[in-house]
Amino acid sequence: MSLHKARIKAFEDILNEDVINMEQLQKLAFNGVPDEKGLRSFVWKILLHYIPQERSAWESTLLKKRQLYQQFIDEIIVSPGGPTDHPLNLSPDSSWSNYFKDNEVLLQIDKDVRRLCPDISFFQSATEFPCPEIVNSNGVKRLHKRVEQSVLKYSTLERRGLGVAKLSNEIRRNEGVNSGDYTPLNEGCEAHWEVVERMLFLYAKLNPGQGYVQGMNEIIGPIYHTFASDSNKEFRKHAEADCFFCFTNLMAEIRDFFIRTLDETESGINYMMSKLSECLKKNDRAVWEQLQRQELRPQYYSFRWLTLLLSQEFSLPDVERIWDSLFADPQRFNSLIYICCAMILLVRDNILSGDFASNVKLLQNFPPMDVSLILNKAVEISTA
Amino acid sequence: MAKKTYDLLFKLLLIGDSGVGKTCILFRFSDNHFTTTFISTIGIDFKIKTVELRGKKIKLQIWDTAGQERFHTITTSYYRGAMGIMLVYDITNEKTFDDIVKWLRNIDEHANEDVEKMILGNKCDMEEKRVISKERGEAIAHEHGIRFMETSAKLNINIDRAFSELAEAILDKSAGREADADHARIAVERRPSRAPPARACCS
Ligand SMILES: Nc1nc2c(ncn2[C@@H]2O[C@H](COP(=O)(O)OP(=O)(O)OP(=O)(O)O)[C@@H](O)[C@H]2O)c(=O)[nH]1
Ligand SMILES: [Mg+2]
Repeated sequence: MSLHKARIKAFEDILNEDVINMEQLQKLAFNGVPDEKGLRSFVWKILLHYIPQERSAWESTLLKKRQLYQQFIDEIIVSPGGPTDHPLNLSPDSSWSNYFKDNEVLLQIDKDVRRLCPDISFFQSATEFPCPEIVNSNGVKRLHKRVEQSVLKYSTLERRGLGVAKLSNEIRRNEGVNSGDYTPLNEGCEAHWEVVERMLFLYAKLNPGQGYVQGMNEIIGPIYHTFASDSNKEFRKHAEADCFFCFTNLMAEIRDFFIRTLDETESGINYMMSKLSECLKKNDRAVWEQLQRQELRPQYYSFRWLTLLLSQEFSLPDVERIWDSLFADPQRFNSLIYICCAMILLVRDNILSGDFASNVKLLQNFPPMDVSLILNKAVEISTA
Repeated sequence: MAKKTYDLLFKLLLIGDSGVGKTCILFRFSDNHFTTTFISTIGIDFKIKTVELRGKKIKLQIWDTAGQERFHTITTSYYRGAMGIMLVYDITNEKTFDDIVKWLRNIDEHANEDVEKMILGNKCDMEEKRVISKERGEAIAHEHGIRFMETSAKLNINIDRAFSELAEAILDKSAGREADADHARIAVERRPSRAPPARACCS
């Protein structure tokens, strides 16, 4: 048996138990999950605590969650009833006012999902499993349709008190927003980016304290890609619902990175950046001192590294490999620090000889590199 | 000390709402290229370009910031060192224009007092979608005594001009100072040469 086949078998053995041994699975997955047989897709669902460890509970859990997701779609997107009061009702909780507020969020999501992973064609291509209530609605239920209309804005209404007649004129004028290759597909079809847009909108609606923050698209993207490319058709079919809940679980762990008021807390992003800086200081004093001398602060590069779990620094397959390790780490964010630190150590010679500008450039555009090199280095640091 | 390849170093900052085209403007300026597929900026990005002005080689260190609210704590920490700030809005989007006032307030709070400012109305190639007239852009700039230009990163309209005008304004102000690696940290003490504040406009 080849090494690779042996690895697959090792995963299958663990997954075939009545109760999955989480520790064993984490250990194995830390060194990478094979892409074959939908293994990665399945293992991530367990590591993100979506699929329970007890095999007997799998079916009912999935059924329940997927029904719940359908319910979200129905209540929030398909038949929310639409605004009922007069558009010029300016009280802050008038239904129009909420409708316009939602559209502002949607506008931002729309801009971002249309820029998702432009180097691969996946997100622009059609999903096999579009949401029927939405794609067969003559466009009216499509979220990006709402966005095209919302270009005429709340503020226009509020400030000038335009009449409703004028309003519909504006709607017509703003149709056909030009969006490169991320064009919406025809009636009955739906592109993957539209699916991502829906999940993010639902997430923002269901988590009003947090809403949508740019970068969430970069977190949900790799998860959805993994689930929607599952070799098992049944799982592919439910990729959207499954991804939504896995994303929600992951966000529960990292959402503080996305909340400005928590920047200074122990779960916030500033704390993470200072931990990285400490880790670097401990492991390579010379590099740390060089960066200090140049006043090259961790915010210049590691804010993005940490907030997005490195998803913008590497190609998608590499991101997925890194996330195997992140998700498998019971102390997930320690390993994130180690990985980031390893990245810096691997370009230490360049940093030591570079000036401020070339070093910022280097760290903001991390050079393509075999990720196993980085991950091995990270393990080395963690056990040092 | 390494040999200097420039005479002066200017730190510039690009700010404005998400999606107005800051990253595209910078990319057009530094790489003379336009692409529609930029991912939104998370935190802060950085580019360098050397230009020649009045016989002096000037190295522009340009920081491109993220527009969304969440990133403001991160991005406002860069205001302090900036010698020039470009405030960008999108002529096809009313909200980005309304927010200029908010961005100006940010500058007042966080930047050096005499930082050179410029307002850019970007995407001026999209005449059919325009909602902010050039006159409105000029008016708000005039009101605050700031330079103004309409630009298009897509069609390369006024991009180089905007950067060289801003650089020139900084040059005027800092004339006589020598290149110095730490130059950017020297606080400029002179009073700002602001145009007299026009009376607040009552629409
Ligand atoms: N037509 C036109 N489109 C432009 C122009 N400049 C930018 N765009 C488009 O506007 C969108 C946003 O551009 P970005 O440069 O990413 O915007 P940004 O201001 O950097 O946004 P954040 O990074 O989110 O703060 C892109 O889809 C661009 O294609 C322009 O001059 N003309
Ligand atoms: Mg940008």
